[in-house]
Amino acid sequence: MSGRVRAGAFGPAQLGNGRNDRLLAVAAWTVPVLVGGVFGWLLFDLLRHGLGGLSWTFLTTAPEAAGRAGGIGPVLFSTLLILAVCLLAAVPVGMLTAVLLSGVVGRPPSQMRSTFLRSVRRSLDVLAGVPSIVFGLFGNAFFSIVLGMGFSILSGGLTLACMVLPIFIREAEEALRQVPAELRLSAAALGLSRTKTLTSILLPAALPGITVGLVLGIGRALAETAALIFTSGYVDRMPGSLLDSGRSLSIHIYDLSMNVAGGEPNAYATALVLVGLLLVINSAAASLSARWHRRG
Amino acid sequence: MQNWRRRARVDSGKNTVQTPLHRPVNRISIPSSARWIACVFGLCVFAGCGSSNEPSSREGREGTDPARLVVTGSSTIAPLISDVARRYEQEHPGVRIDVQTGGSSRGLTDARRGLADVGMVSRSPREGEDDVAWIPIALDGLAIIVHADSPVNVLSEEQVVAIYRGEIETWRDVGGEDAPITVVTKADGRSTLEVFLDHFGLTAQEIRADVVIGDNQQAIKTVVGNPDAIAYVSIGTAEYEAMQGAPLRLLRLGDFEPSTDAVRAGSYPVARTLHVVAKGESAPVVSEFLDFLLSPAVHDLVESHFFVPLDGPTPDGPAG
Repeated sequence: MSGRVRAGAFGPAQLGNGRNDRLLAVAAWTVPVLVGGVFGWLLFDLLRHGLGGLSWTFLTTAPEAAGRAGGIGPVLFSTLLILAVCLLAAVPVGMLTAVLLSGVVGRPPSQMRSTFLRSVRRSLDVLAGVPSIVFGLFGNAFFSIVLGMGFSILSGGLTLACMVLPIFIREAEEALRQVPAELRLSAAALGLSRTKTLTSILLPAALPGITVGLVLGIGRALAETAALIFTSGYVDRMPGSLLDSGRSLSIHIYDLSMNVAGGEPNAYATALVLVGLLLVINSAAASLSARWHRRG
Repeated sequence: MQNWRRRARVDSGKNTVQTPLHRPVNRISIPSSARWIACVFGLCVFAGCGSSNEPSSREGREGTDPARLVVTGSSTIAPLISDVARRYEQEHPGVRIDVQTGGSSRGLTDARRGLADVGMVSRSPREGEDDVAWIPIALDGLAIIVHADSPVNVLSEEQVVAIYRGEIETWRDVGGEDAPITVVTKADGRSTLEVFLDHFGLTAQEIRADVVIGDNQQAIKTVVGNPDAIAYVSIGTAEYEAMQGAPLRLLRLGDFEPSTDAVRAGSYPVARTLHVVAKGESAPVVSEFLDFLLSPAVHDLVESHFFVPLDGPTPDGPAG
């Protein structure tokens, strides 16, 4: 019975079934239109409410009256600093881990090493699913209290790095694995060292995939509030150093829309800035990666 | 050309066994990766050490380093204290005040443990909490709100209790249309919830809520979006939103009209006192800031956040 069903579902007998095909086609078109519609609606809503408040002064001046008046200058600056700390910590560590996990460099792993690699991979998968508030509490306990960084941009950025790492490593590992083996073989045949093979052949070839991981990571980092409220904090002053507390855009939006009566217009404008920032960073990453890829 | 030749020579000198793909781990790659890791961790540790002085008030140390005050606690009070802090910083260039949020309980804990110089707590002290000084800073009334389209204007205390217990389930029973009541309440640990429970003599377990929310504005958004909802929020906020044209109505509670004026006059029964807490003997910087917080110089800020300023520094806490 089950054999016949399987044959019916996948066998040539089904090829001529026009109604199912049409249904599938309708579904395949409706769903993307709906998804695109949701994004369009969201963007439209943001533009409608936020565009009016947007100006150069808004981007550069400090918030006043708890964010209801004034701009978001210090908040924007803190956000960029937090992101920079996050990437400076996450990218090198993530790349190294991805290289190790992908196994494109070095001997085929021994029994013990492959067990180790498997457990690393499993723990990364678990970490990728951990809710961000847990990272926030961890970051507060470890970076802020144990390492004594207090509420600071540094501790916020490092907490975000912990959060971004699993996603980034998985994407980078996958990208490295998908580099054709012929490239490695040719490099070895030419007598290139493993470092040279990695930096000149594997990494450039895997760059588009790694960029995807990076962009996903940046997206997660920029959207984060829960992990940051206990680490980088709530202070909306212009940070003087990485050890000062600094409010991120997402926390600013959250606070304006949840705690400050009358904060709505500026919350919308800030949200628009956040979406814009995300788009700018993503397209910059994509075009840089494309340029390096051509050159590599 | 020259490059790979040289590299290949170096490699073959180092490695004894040479299979094309799986050579022993290259010696060049290990130190370089180790250097990377060392760099990153070195940076972290270095930065960590730099800041290991604890985040409590450091009174104007040598040179330009300002005294720093850390204030944590209630997300209801945090925007107000941020504003007050900004004004204080302008008048006292040597002081920096970092305001953090996390809720009333956190403010109390942090102040006790010395993680914060001042804690913000949006309720009154309970028994056994007199180990810190409680300083009242402002009043805030709670109003019961419904959608503006609702025909209901007044509810008695008993009706509110019955609605929140789930004993009254449709608006028809209290003079409205035949529609089920959407009961909105605040999440556990929120001071607004505690004030509400205290006043109406309810317990958190008794409440049969349809929607559980966190912050103040969320209550307003829920009611604005649902004509059958009932919620309780800060009077000042509700008045402001209603004035801005949000479709919501503040319900009269028995004989009491909810308004900030009534709260100021002390004639509206459901009100809470917003407090800050501090350890008994705090540094001069801290007490100076607290004096400023209680002075009439900040009354306009208190009002701009829709709270009711207190007239004078008259602490009502056990240890105040």
